[in-house]
Amino acid sequence: MKQNDPQFNRFGNLHHFLTLDGLNKQTLTGILDAAENFTSINDKSIKNAPLLRGKTVANLFFENSTRTRTAFELAAKRLSADILNIDLISSSTKKGESLLDTLRVLESLQCDMFIVRHSDSGAAHFIAEHVAPTINVVNGGDGQHSHPTQGMLDMFTIRRHKGSFENLRVVIIGDIKHSRVARSGISALRTLGAAEIRVVAPNTLIPEYVEALGVKVYSKLEVALKDADVIMGLRLQNERMNSATVPSMGEFFRTYGLTEDRLKLAKPDAIVMHPGPTNRGVEIAANVADGKQAVILEQVNYGIAVRMAVLSITMGHGEAVREAQMAGAS
Amino acid sequence: MSQATNNTSIIGARLLDLTAIPDTSTDVHIVDGVICDKPATDSQIIDATGMVLSPGFVDLYARLREPGLTRKGTLASECHAALAAGFTTLLCSPDTHPVIDSTATVELIRQRAQQAGGARVIPLAALTANLEGQRLSEIATLRDAGCVGASQADQPIADTSVLLSAMEYAATFDIPLLLTARDPQIGGAGCAHAGAVATRLGLPGIPAATETIGLARLIELCRDTACRLHISRISTARGVEQIHAAKQAGLSITADVGIHHLFFTEKHINGFDVNFHSSVPFRSEQDRDALRAGVANGTIDAICSDHAPHDTDAKLAPFPSSAAGLSAFDVFLPLLMQLPALLDVPLSKILSAVTTMPANILATETVESTLAAGKSANLVLFDPAAPAQCTSANFLSQGRNTPFLDCDDANIHLESGLPFTGKVHTVWLRGVPTTFIQ
Repeated sequence: MKQNDPQFNRFGNLHHFLTLDGLNKQTLTGILDAAENFTSINDKSIKNAPLLRGKTVANLFFENSTRTRTAFELAAKRLSADILNIDLISSSTKKGESLLDTLRVLESLQCDMFIVRHSDSGAAHFIAEHVAPTINVVNGGDGQHSHPTQGMLDMFTIRRHKGSFENLRVVIIGDIKHSRVARSGISALRTLGAAEIRVVAPNTLIPEYVEALGVKVYSKLEVALKDADVIMGLRLQNERMNSATVPSMGEFFRTYGLTEDRLKLAKPDAIVMHPGPTNRGVEIAANVADGKQAVILEQVNYGIAVRMAVLSITMGHGEAVREAQMAGAS
Repeated sequence: MSQATNNTSIIGARLLDLTAIPDTSTDVHIVDGVICDKPATDSQIIDATGMVLSPGFVDLYARLREPGLTRKGTLASECHAALAAGFTTLLCSPDTHPVIDSTATVELIRQRAQQAGGARVIPLAALTANLEGQRLSEIATLRDAGCVGASQADQPIADTSVLLSAMEYAATFDIPLLLTARDPQIGGAGCAHAGAVATRLGLPGIPAATETIGLARLIELCRDTACRLHISRISTARGVEQIHAAKQAGLSITADVGIHHLFFTEKHINGFDVNFHSSVPFRSEQDRDALRAGVANGTIDAICSDHAPHDTDAKLAPFPSSAAGLSAFDVFLPLLMQLPALLDVPLSKILSAVTTMPANILATETVESTLAAGKSANLVLFDPAAPAQCTSANFLSQGRNTPFLDCDDANIHLESGLPFTGKVHTVWLRGVPTTFIQ
């Protein structure tokens, strides 16, 4: 049993960003506030801040990703860092090199930060535990465990639209079992004080003892959507159809697809979120995905500011971010 | 000219062997390698006051890694570590490379183990060729070559008709089967107990149902084939109930539990601690408590080490990709010494689960576990109260994969509040002593 939270250094500062589980409300709010400041930079014509000038950030993606990797890349560039994109899917790990050997090589390139995506749950923890102490590790998604920057950009989107979390009823639809996005979202929503978190899916997509995460489980989408403030869809992977979890995309859409009619059961001002890429006609009807309640593209946009906040805070620039914020306010 | 003999008198120890002698202090003499009522004239005397003398421990399931996996452990390293833990007999699991499905491999293991010294090794035959679950291996021939039973290691037979056939065939020759109860499909891709912790950590789960379904299959086939069935490394509360019911129904079924499963639960994997990644997963607190109760009331007959030494690299990976299993020999005795208090049973009961009970399960003259006079002296003398040391400097197994290694306070993991004690003084193997502390 591990005793300490590996995310914090011995001074109690956030040194790695691995999971939202265990981060307190103050830390999460601090990230959201910092992101708020960066959104104003992103709206300017010159979008760069010099916070990470001279730093090298390496994108270590052991799993396919275009969106998350691009968002991290843009975030690092806007903070004036040098960014190294390393395609690990087709290279070293395929040749039988161990994960640790790959890390050692990358360490010797004098990188300051690793952004890691890996198909094993706990991979970011493992890397954080074994890298040189000067390197910061940010989790870009590990297996089915955690996707903390996605979780934070979801919280950012919700806060922008709803102001606060206290009275919110949030519904998460779909593949909870295999979703790191769902786990990070649930953890953050709990910490930030959401009134109620509902998960709704066929039992094959609900993990064991999910109630222990602080959610209520629903089988019927129509019931779960009643009076919802926030509706979060999740991507249903094609491979689920081949593994006896869901019979077909058609049946999933018929029973759990978010349609205009079903959306009417939620509050009239409910927002519709999705981490993307959406499967139109599977999780969500096209007219809902493009409808006025959908904030899916905003999520993508906020993803950059949120990641800028995470990168600068983990690299020890929390203070600078706050100062910039003050300057921006004046 | 008289040669130095190993004749010894052990004076003042607490003698623990319920079958042979009542649990009271008395003296034991070893003359010409045999336990005797009287000392020889040249007997050396060991003052064993405060210590316990027990038949040597018999381990029903240990991975010794040779041949083929010597980066993880060798017969020499593991047999010495086992001896220092009080084991005189080890049943070696068949999942070596090559697997133990030919007499040549059995011979190789026996010879290497003999050369190495240390605890005596008895191989378990692979029940099916290459453990693939398709063709039977020559278990009668392997028995004659020295295997006392057959096993499928961690690989359940997927085809139930093959399993039925294997059990029928084994029953013909009265060969005991030591099988792990596991459904061949459910939880196959998992790496942790399918419970609240795995759900939070996003780890693929191994549901308890894999054991209960596996057990139901084994129990029903045992009923039909009348084979001698031993369930290896049980892990769930419901599984303990099933075994209890099967015994009540008069089936010839016995069971063991891995020693670590009497202590650890799913919560130990928090923080992705790879030290607690085990092939039979650590389950809920309720399961752990049922396993303890099962040992206390005799539903679970024996405690095995489930020893699984690994090289450092095998554990240097994210949790799901790290190798499963814990190195157990070096911490076996101190863990065992916690159990009388935790289970509220006498020490003799716990010791019988690692001595007479496993010997009775195998029921072969090759494996005896007794303090009775006239029998070959396979004994362990240990100090139950001496603080255990589990440091890199004195660790004997080649596999350093235990959470207790260089751990200042074992109670961080055990939470028993009990001292971590138990040190072997001397082990006699066929009368030949090896002394570990003076």
